[in-house]
Amino acid sequence: MELLNIFKYEIKHFVRSKSKLFAYLFFVIACFYSISNGFSLYNKHHSTINSLQQQEDEKISQVIKWFNNGEKGPEDKDWVDITDPYWSLRYTPKHVFKNPSPLLPLGIGQSEQYGYYKKTTIWSSPYDSDIIEEISNYERFVNGNIDFSFLIIFLLPLLIIILTYNINGLEKDLNFDKLISIQTRSFNYWVLFRLIFYGVLLVSTINIFILSVLYINNVNIIDGLDLIKLSNLYVAVFIIPFYFVILSSKSSTSIAFKMISIWLFLCVLVPGSVHQYVSLKYPPNFMTDFLDANRKETYAIFKLPKEELHRQMLSIYDDLDTTKQGQDSLVNIKTTRNTMSCIVNQINIHAINIIEEQNNFKNNLIRSTYWFNPISYFQNEWNSLTSTDYYAYKDFRDNIQFVINNKLKLLAFECWNERTVNVNLYDEYLKKLNVTKNQQFNP
Amino acid sequence: MVNIIFNEWKGLFRNKLFITLSSFFLISLIISTLFGIIQNNEQNLAQKNAQEHIRSQWDKMDPTNPHSAAHYGSYAFKPISILNSIDEGVNSVTGNVLRLEGHRQNNMVFSEVSQSLLISKFGKLKPALIFQFIIPLFLIFLSFNSYTLEKTSGRIKLLLVQGASLRRIIFSKVFSIWLISIALLSITIIIQLVFNKYQFDLDTLFRLSLFFISYAFYFYIIVSLTFIFSVVLKNNTWALSLTILTWIGWTIFLPSIIANISDEIIPLTTRIEFNESLAIDRSKGIDGHNPRGDRKEALEKATLKKYNVEKLEDLPVNFSGILMQEDEEYGNKVWDKHFGNLYNQLKAQKDLYQISGVVNPFISLQNLSMGISGTDMHHHIDFLDQAEKYRRVFIKSLNDEYAFGGSKTGERGWKASNEFFRSIEDFQFQSPNFLSFYTKYLADFLILLFWVLLLVTLLSFTTRKI
Repeated sequence: MELLNIFKYEIKHFVRSKSKLFAYLFFVIACFYSISNGFSLYNKHHSTINSLQQQEDEKISQVIKWFNNGEKGPEDKDWVDITDPYWSLRYTPKHVFKNPSPLLPLGIGQSEQYGYYKKTTIWSSPYDSDIIEEISNYERFVNGNIDFSFLIIFLLPLLIIILTYNINGLEKDLNFDKLISIQTRSFNYWVLFRLIFYGVLLVSTINIFILSVLYINNVNIIDGLDLIKLSNLYVAVFIIPFYFVILSSKSSTSIAFKMISIWLFLCVLVPGSVHQYVSLKYPPNFMTDFLDANRKETYAIFKLPKEELHRQMLSIYDDLDTTKQGQDSLVNIKTTRNTMSCIVNQINIHAINIIEEQNNFKNNLIRSTYWFNPISYFQNEWNSLTSTDYYAYKDFRDNIQFVINNKLKLLAFECWNERTVNVNLYDEYLKKLNVTKNQQFNP
Repeated sequence: MVNIIFNEWKGLFRNKLFITLSSFFLISLIISTLFGIIQNNEQNLAQKNAQEHIRSQWDKMDPTNPHSAAHYGSYAFKPISILNSIDEGVNSVTGNVLRLEGHRQNNMVFSEVSQSLLISKFGKLKPALIFQFIIPLFLIFLSFNSYTLEKTSGRIKLLLVQGASLRRIIFSKVFSIWLISIALLSITIIIQLVFNKYQFDLDTLFRLSLFFISYAFYFYIIVSLTFIFSVVLKNNTWALSLTILTWIGWTIFLPSIIANISDEIIPLTTRIEFNESLAIDRSKGIDGHNPRGDRKEALEKATLKKYNVEKLEDLPVNFSGILMQEDEEYGNKVWDKHFGNLYNQLKAQKDLYQISGVVNPFISLQNLSMGISGTDMHHHIDFLDQAEKYRRVFIKSLNDEYAFGGSKTGERGWKASNEFFRSIEDFQFQSPNFLSFYTKYLADFLILLFWVLLLVTLLSFTTRKI
């Protein structure tokens, strides 16, 4: 009963307090705005992916048309012969996409810092320059986009401060806190219930927004449950210390000052310090290992004699010795040269593994700070749930590498088997190239 | 006035919380400045090592066909300015490496933010972060009840009776708090001067002076605005709430919202559209590798006429090299058009963003801070421009060697010597002089000045009306 009474009076206070009501409504409008931003990015990703998919289909149709018309390739490139597996595979575009998560409108995370589509060729790698982020104003990046996760992680605590800093503080300012002590069963409960009111208000607001996005994007509520739990836990992370601040402070000014200090400390100072420390420990990588693989070592491969290329190809794919070319005592220079991108790919993979390992060390260091840097934990956890964190994009890179490996393996075996491609075989190629990660592929 | 300022300071230094917080900020500033300098030096060393590593590969190149060398290419690694240790600006999001090669103008890759999980939304703990986010709050808390406390305690009447005018009292209080921020600013500048003394030149000193002035202006804006709210509202809680709301709006909300609005008013092309339109325009030129069409015919005729011969084989030069360079020249026009349009769009967005400083002086401060530190978009585009200019000279010297270095048309296997490759100079980035850029920041500076003057006037006016 007492709880209900406190809630009833708090609702009255909240509605009559223009500054609090205004701040809350402002937050709600900002949530609408941020989610609409998220949806526009989500739709943009989808439409780009669809348009690229369409372009890819058109190019494939063109190749099929050449087969059906008995043509060897484009008119202006008479050296192209699509009946040769090398050319038919070179003329088969294969894009790898990172489809946006249906939860993206709730947090765009690091998605603006990475590309989300990649055209793979026989010379591709997941670190190519065509996989960089969408064209954007760098200074906008610095300020960050107002997405829903930004509002929850950085602005929600400020809203809590505005809504709660004068709980008990106002009474102390006006010297009637003693009166409250007499009238209520327990002063601490009275403070706690008032705080719980705002906690419930904010948690309900956030949950409504999350559930709405789940509904709009047709996401199973179970899949969004972790996000709901995380956001509710986050509200508690701030409400709990604020409760003790309210109890231990002597005026609303002092409460506000301490609350703002907690926010600054947790949201700005600690992550900023960790960021600086991590940057000192692991300075930005200029990726010279990858550049060397991409340039020096690749050019060294180009200069290798055909016998050495042949030997290296056999060391990559054991079964190549069962192919026509593998069993031939004479090394065919054309076939060997046409498939040397497989050797370059192995060099790239080695260099990329080094880079990913270095990044992983960096990430481990970041994760080891979570116990005193909870904001980074919440940010990355949130981004992970919306598939917009570093690892979501690492998965995308792994998928690109898988598709490249797949394509190159097909190229190697088809070229070394000296196959002649017709429309049926080409159709088989398309099926094999469409194999996704985690599916077995046998050439 | 001086007496009032000293009295204010006496009062503040008696307050343990003030001493604790001031010490905390002082230590934070010293640590962040020192760490910033160390990180800067390490990053510059890594950049230098990477550049030397790549260059040594170029210098060791075996005799090679110059056009193959153009494909082999080089890399430009973005160096960071000395003042990056104060304000990192866009450096962590722009990428560090730019490939310089024939036939294409590339984009920068490997940004720092893409190499790890997200850590801090507001950036590393550098002096700019402390000055932009933390010190203003500290100043707000020092200022918001400075006047009302005097009023409620009745001390203000005592001061008025002693002959001080209200305006003088208020301004003295404003200055007393503002000077504390100036002291913190000065300490940062002194640490920079001491630990970077061998790297400083006149331009950096000039930039540091402007950095000092810009932040001093902004701190004055924060302190005087808090005083105005305090004087007008006559209520501590209201004054504090309103000032903090203003601070949140200025610092957290408006920069992102205005940046988004600028993006909507002046939308940028998507990467697909950009690449497609570039490819369309590029295809209209001569393809150096597979030359066809009228342009190729015209160039062939002109070359034959120039050397007064009938057939390409009779040319004393290698026509392939001439073709390659012609292809580059056409490409340069295409890149100038498309990258030029893109940079203009980015600059227009920035102009719009700058104007919004009229409602949010934090934006002007942020622009000035990044600009002065040499870490904003203008400086980044300048790096890209310089790298592209170098790429054009670099590729032209390779194509010229192919054309005029001693080979004849049809000699595809011709190779230039290692001495020739070593004779090509490496890319050297020239950090731009601030004076050559000052027009880009004039609006920000004037807007901050406008705010200062506006608040001086408003504070004068409000003290007259009490």
